[in-house]
Formats: sequence, structure tokens, C-alpha cells
Amino acid sequence: VPSSLPPCAAPIPDEMLRSLAGPPAPGGQDPRGWRVPVDCVRANELCAAEPSCSSRYRTLRQCLAGRDRNTMLANKECQAALEVLQESPLYDCRCKRGMKKELQCLQIYWSIHLGLTEGEEFYEASPYEPVTSRLSDIFRLASIFSGMDPATTSRSNHCLDAAKACNLNDNCKRLRSGYISTCSRELSASEPCSRRKCHKALRQFFDRVPGEFTFRLLFCSCRDQACAERRRQTIVPSCSYEDKEKPNCLDLRSTCRTDHLCRSRLADFHTNCQATFQSLTSCPGDNYQACLGSYAGLIGFDMTPNYVDASTTSITISPWCSCRGSGNLEEECEKFLQDFTENPCLRNAIQAFGNGTDVNLSPKNPSPPVTAAPKAEKSPALPDDVNDSNTMYDTSIITTCTSIQEQGLKPNKSKEQSLCYSETQLTTDMMPDQKTFVDQKAGGSRHRAGWILLLVPILLLGPGL
Amino acid sequence: GRRKRARARHKPCELRELEVSVSDLGLGYESDETVLFRYCSGTCEASVRSYDLSLKSMRSRRRIRKEKVRARPCCRPLAYDDDVSFLDAYNRYYTVNELSAKECGCV
Repeated sequence: VPSSLPPCAAPIPDEMLRSLAGPPAPGGQDPRGWRVPVDCVRANELCAAEPSCSSRYRTLRQCLAGRDRNTMLANKECQAALEVLQESPLYDCRCKRGMKKELQCLQIYWSIHLGLTEGEEFYEASPYEPVTSRLSDIFRLASIFSGMDPATTSRSNHCLDAAKACNLNDNCKRLRSGYISTCSRELSASEPCSRRKCHKALRQFFDRVPGEFTFRLLFCSCRDQACAERRRQTIVPSCSYEDKEKPNCLDLRSTCRTDHLCRSRLADFHTNCQATFQSLTSCPGDNYQACLGSYAGLIGFDMTPNYVDASTTSITISPWCSCRGSGNLEEECEKFLQDFTENPCLRNAIQAFGNGTDVNLSPKNPSPPVTAAPKAEKSPALPDDVNDSNTMYDTSIITTCTSIQEQGLKPNKSKEQSLCYSETQLTTDMMPDQKTFVDQKAGGSRHRAGWILLLVPILLLGPGL
Repeated sequence: GRRKRARARHKPCELRELEVSVSDLGLGYESDETVLFRYCSGTCEASVRSYDLSLKSMRSRRRIRKEKVRARPCCRPLAYDDDVSFLDAYNRYYTVNELSAKECGCV
């Protein structure tokens, strides 16, 4: 086990002991500051360097593999492992969106937290670090671009301006073209596109391009329908969003929760966009940026949200699902769906971004903690669920667990496919011979230009002869 | 004015850029989206090789008459930029490749 011990690990056991000895600080907000949330990959390393932690963690992972919470907690060894791990840095750890090894980080996070939650909770705490920057930071950067065309501020199409700003930035242009070409490439008559590849390309765009570009494209404000339709088309909904059938929203949520990434992004959305009556803006901590960021973080997953129509007056957002066929869970389904369709926080955040307004907060508290503290108070109360007789664990679980773990951790090494389209023919047919190109241009100026072009070689040849 | 123009004309071959609307590209697409069009411009005097001088000589001695030959290096893209995608006026997406130059050279 200590093979993963980093070479400079001398202070770590100390740090670990202190954190183990200290009082449990569930929110990671210890006033003394020595229990700052550490990312889960790092926390895993810290745990691996400490024999008792690493053995408990291994036990817990084996306990969780393929078992529901009650089954797991009925086992004493599993219970003990969970209790010990709540004191370890693994308990407080968080992940960063788009970080290196994000999936690994989230797998570690959920391996602990799935044991802590009651299982099918309506809202789950976000595994991501709280967003500390504010919308104004994006405006500041976006203003650099809007400064490019000062004449067209009043009557312009903001979504078109956003596309322009993206096209003029090499990184944004490359990744935008990447997902657009992937999502609009027809595979066959029956398959309009590869949804899987389209989603992957969209995730790359929203993870790797800064918010000042992506937010402008997604949340531009519109006065006419052409603009609103362009806004709706941003994520190439025909491929990434729409489907033959609309599944039930709770079924869609279950599908999403089987995937660590989708589950995390959904939890992040619920943490940052959940409407609250405790703030002016209806947003947790009045933090619009956090809400918009977690909204964008859902794009490219099963729960991909989008504008339902090209209306300019009312903004309605929804994932591709409905509450038909909910049975006795109709109410829960509606509640879930309304967090998208009728969410004042999300709507205010989108409108505020479109209008270029942010909440004015005193500069002294720029970043109220947004992430809901994990439900620490309820976790140690382990129910004595004796009804569940399925308490016999044996070593055979270990192999199942590790094989699942290894499968999950395997990096996806599929290479980015090269981008090649029918337009190749079009452009190469038109471009190689300059004559064709010039002939297409109408107007008399072309003749004059032609004369100049003829004169230039003569002038240049002059000294050479 | 004239001297300045003359100097500009003798700039060596290099990459330049223009912001143009997709419609202005003349490729038949209708879209108001703006793209960055990078092109190669400038002279290639420094890149004249013995080949060019000899070819010129052959032509002036009428050893080469009917064929179309080019006895001057030419400022052209050596590599093209990545694909450019855009939404057109009818809400359809298109992707164009090799639209814009990435690197220029005298060839």
C-alpha cells in the first residue's frame, strides 16, 4: 500500500494525525484552517499513506460494491469503516470541474458519500468545490470583446455577437467547430448523428472554454425570434437534446445517477440553482455564476438541459423528459422537473447575465460558501436494521469491487476523430484555382484589381532582368 | 502616401487576417456570423532560386513557349487552419475546412 507514498511525504502523517485527532468539522470550514477541503485524489493519497485509513477505505469500498446502504450498514465491519473514514480527509474532500482525473476524484467522493446518504435522496450535496468567482468577473472579460463593435450595441443580435467573439478566439473557435461538426455529422439515414460523440465534444467545449465565451453563447439575451432560435440551437439540440421518445424525468434521473459524472453535475446543479426564499435573487448565496456554471456543466450528459422553444419573452428550460407515466410519483416528478422549468433562481441568473447585471455585494464578502455541507449529523446514526438478513459478506465481494473500480478508472483513450466532411469537396473544388474564385465576384472593381495584379509582377520583374 | 504604399507592397510574405461575414466568403452560404479569415500576402523576392532565373531564361530564349510556367516563387499557405463551423440564416450548421491559412511561405 505505501507504494503510492509521495517522496516528500514527511509532514503528511502529522497532518493526518492532527485531522484525525481534531473535532469533526463536517463542512470543512474549520476556523483554525488546518482542515481545508482537499481534492479527493489527494485525500486518497493521504489515506493510502496511513495504514489504518487505507485498510478501512478498502473495506468500505468492498462493502459498497453492489450493495444498498441498509445492507451495507447491517455489517459491523462496514459500519466501523464508515465511522473511521468520517474522521479522515477523504470525508471532506471535493473535486474541481474539469480537473485532471475528475472521474477518479468523483469515484472516490461517491465511494464514501453513497454510504452516507440515504440512497435515493431528492437533492444530493455537490461533490464540487464552491464557485468563488462572480458573474462580474465574466463581464469584465466579456467587455473586452463587446468593445470590438461599439456601434451595434442597441439593436444587435447578442447571440450573433457571442458567436463572433467565439470565432475570433482560436481556442473557442476550435472547440465550437469540434462539437458542431461532430453533432451535425450524419451517420446514416436511420442514425442522424452519434449522440455519444456529440455529448463528449460538448463536454470538452464547456469544460475547456472559459465562461466569458460559453456563457455568452448560452445565455445571450434576445429581442427577436431569429436570435432566440440561434440561442436554442447553441448545443445542436437535434443531436444532443431531442430524442425519438421523451422518457419520464425520474427514469432519466435514475439513469443519470448510475453515472458518477452525470450524478455529480446534477447534484452540483441542485446545490447551486436550487431556488431559495432566503435571498433576493432566489439563488443560494446570490451567486448567479455558480448557478450558470452548474447549468452549463449538465450539457453533454443524459440530463442535458435546453430552451424548449424560441420564445423571446419567456425563458423555459427543461431536460428532454416529461412526467407522463410517473404513476404515484407524479408529485416528485413534477418537483424535479420544475427545478428546470419554473426555477426563479435559474431564470434570474440567465436574465441577469443577458442584461449584464450582477448582484452588488459588498467587496468584503465576495464568496459566500455555496456548497451545501454534507449531511454529517445524520450519518453516524446507523439504523439497527435487523430485518435485512443479508448480512453475510465473504471475500468474493472483493474481486467484484476491485474489478468494477478498475474498469471505472480506466481512462478513455479513444482518439479524437479527425474532422472531415462533405464540405471538403465543396471547398477544394472552389478554392484551388484562383480564376474560379475571382470569376464569382461580381462588379467592376474586380477589373481594376486585376490590372493591379498584372502590374505588380512587371514592376517586380524589372530589377531582376 | 506613395512611398508608404510602395513599402507596403514590398512586405515579405506573411499571414494577415480579416474579420469577414460568412456570406462574404463567396462560398454560397448565407450567414451573418463573423469569422476570422487569415490569408497569405507579401512578396517573395528573397526566395528566388536559380530555378526561377533559369526558367525565365528558357522562356525568354523561347525554349519554353506553349506551356504555362511560373518563374517566380509565390506567397501561399503552407498549412491551413482548423475547421470553421457556423449556423446559417436557416438554422442549419455547416463546417468548412481549409478555409483559412495558418502558415505562409514562398513556394
